[in-house]
Amino acid sequence: MARKDLLDIASLHREEIEFLLDQSTSFKKLFTRSVKKIPALEGKSVLMLFYEASTRTHSSFEVAAKRLSAEVTNFDVAHSSITKGESVRETIETLQAMRTDYIVVRHSHPGLPGMIARQTTASVINAGDGAHEHPTQALLDAFTIKEKFPDPRGKRVLIIGDILHSRVARSTSTLLQKLGVEVAYLGPGSLVPKYVPESIRRFTDYEAAMAWAPDVVYLLRVQMERQDVQFFPSVREYHRVYGITTARLAEIRDKGLYIMHPGPVNRGVELCDAVMDYERSLITNQVENGISIRMAVLDWLTPGGDFPKQEAYNAQQKASSPVIVP
Amino acid sequence: MLLLQNARIASENSPVLLESDVLFVEGKIQDIGSGLAVPKGARVIDARGRVLMPGMFDAHVHFRAPGFENKETITTGSEAAINGGVTGVVMMPNTRPAIDSAAVVATVLENAKHRSRIPVYTSGCVTKNRDGKELAEIEGMHRLGVTMLTDDGDTTNDPAVLLRAMQYATEFGMFFASHCEVPELAGPRALNEGVMSYRLGIKGSPACAEEIIIDRDIRLARAAGAHVHIQHVSSKEGMETIRWWKSRGDVKVTAEVAPHHLLFTDEHIGDYDTNYKMNPPLRTQADCDALLEGLKEGVFDLIATDHAPHTPFEKAQDFVSAPNGITGLETALVSLYHFFVRPEKFGWDLVVKRYSAEPRRLMGLPIPTIEVGQPAECILFDTEAETTFTQDFMKSKSQNTPFIDQTLKGRVDLVILGSEILLER
Repeated sequence: MARKDLLDIASLHREEIEFLLDQSTSFKKLFTRSVKKIPALEGKSVLMLFYEASTRTHSSFEVAAKRLSAEVTNFDVAHSSITKGESVRETIETLQAMRTDYIVVRHSHPGLPGMIARQTTASVINAGDGAHEHPTQALLDAFTIKEKFPDPRGKRVLIIGDILHSRVARSTSTLLQKLGVEVAYLGPGSLVPKYVPESIRRFTDYEAAMAWAPDVVYLLRVQMERQDVQFFPSVREYHRVYGITTARLAEIRDKGLYIMHPGPVNRGVELCDAVMDYERSLITNQVENGISIRMAVLDWLTPGGDFPKQEAYNAQQKASSPVIVP
Repeated sequence: MLLLQNARIASENSPVLLESDVLFVEGKIQDIGSGLAVPKGARVIDARGRVLMPGMFDAHVHFRAPGFENKETITTGSEAAINGGVTGVVMMPNTRPAIDSAAVVATVLENAKHRSRIPVYTSGCVTKNRDGKELAEIEGMHRLGVTMLTDDGDTTNDPAVLLRAMQYATEFGMFFASHCEVPELAGPRALNEGVMSYRLGIKGSPACAEEIIIDRDIRLARAAGAHVHIQHVSSKEGMETIRWWKSRGDVKVTAEVAPHHLLFTDEHIGDYDTNYKMNPPLRTQADCDALLEGLKEGVFDLIATDHAPHTPFEKAQDFVSAPNGITGLETALVSLYHFFVRPEKFGWDLVVKRYSAEPRRLMGLPIPTIEVGQPAECILFDTEAETTFTQDFMKSKSQNTPFIDQTLKGRVDLVILGSEILLER
């Protein structure tokens, strides 16, 4: 059942998801012990390849790897040959020669971790590729939700914000739907594409979305750095129209809804300060659960062995192309 | 002397293939008829079952020279053309330096004369260095025979610049070929905005980015009294915009469609296969269907491949980093046969009209036909044989095509130009 890589949620089977969530439960029990380290990955090496800035995902993976006794190397992108114009492919050839066991990669280009996975024997874990996927975030979100709703089937999660640029929205919605959770998107019309999957409800009006009766409100970070054009007039207006304002928090408290956020939080934009002290905010739980989920993922993957070389992969893609059939 | 016996002759004027012998003498067609006597010393080829037709002409190719000879040269590009049954091409000017002056045009044409076995024509830039600001020295290029002006690869974004260019160059009898794309809407990533762009997490380019410029450039041409040729249309609405303007009849507009836009959709990109990354991007099945209708109806005057070679190293990057474009010269005719002629979606007459005659009409060139007295410029196509597009088969320097290692029905067996047999299988 083990895989070489974790690149996306879309290709994960239900049993694999359940397995990882169960394993995460076991690993989380370690956290209360005075010695939190186990020798599961002793002698294994984990390379952190972060082309994009990250605090919590990076440190979460690092802590997870170290708790499994792996050696962790941080690839310093800022001081690497990448700044001398070396391509990702050349970098990967170099890294492959170093025979690392795991590569945890974050990059702004969608699909790039998959490309790396096809060129290395290392197990590649996608730690976020552009607006494509962020599978470990989705797993930790599902784990956090399952802690509150052990059987989450039929529960409703409303994801609010910049869906267009969000890998979290894509991965988390895919995973939650695989677990039987209903998902809806809410956000400005410019940031919630009209062509999202039909299985996901699409709202642009806050009141209408709340009338859908969600159990969890999942706020996405407004990523100003990804917005090459203006998608809404101002953060003040965004907060008023789509944010959790003080008045809206009161309503959420009355209804007993849970609030989640992948972080880092823009206070006063996605949510008002008071949300951080809200007793049903699961934001800290998400951070904590990130470590056990990433331990489960590292422990589950199996580095080494044959890897699908790019050429073979391309041939396979062509063979499965529906048009090129006589 | 060459005698082809029992060839089936295709022409743009008739869906019926006439079976006949054809005698070539000193680069011309000397006789056509059944049971022609074999002249002394003539070579005889039994062409029974095979289709004889004029050589194709591709009005939209990138031969990458000068500047990007690692991708393609005039020699490799023209050999690729011959390999695909194409006996004449028009190069696009997005080279380095750009083909934006008489000096560069002269160099390119001189090279073509010595390094190609088929006629290679070039278009010229509308603006200097294709930067959309200052007009290129248009008349100087015209004196060397350039008739098509384009900033291909990009739209001439400032409508005032394009309008002035149209007003100026139309006086010399030149016409404009438009790559249609609002850059602010399209963004840098060649992927249709839709279900697929959401799934892959790449901000898509909406079809309206193309449609707006199609409409804009036709309106500008109308205002200037110019002839505008719309390049590589990819969307249904784009096709319908052209159809509407053509139905009005108050502006001279022609248009082309590429085989890949008829054949592939954004779904083919699958797991980020860069051989499906092109600009304009692949769109939906509904667009493909509409483009096919447009081709049959004549909204599209011609088929052109936008042959765009890139090195394997460039295409092996991730989808966002990889350059746009696929090669097309070697696969176009066989794929048109395999996917359209063989399943009777259209006939050989359409292929000859749209991929041989009309592109030459656009360029103001003589149109080769299989008729007595005409210069020999023709190909023989085996409809039962197959072509496998292996690396060894390809003559282009680059093999960035979705057809690589695929086998399709149909094969170009013979290419004749004047007294020369350029290719024989």
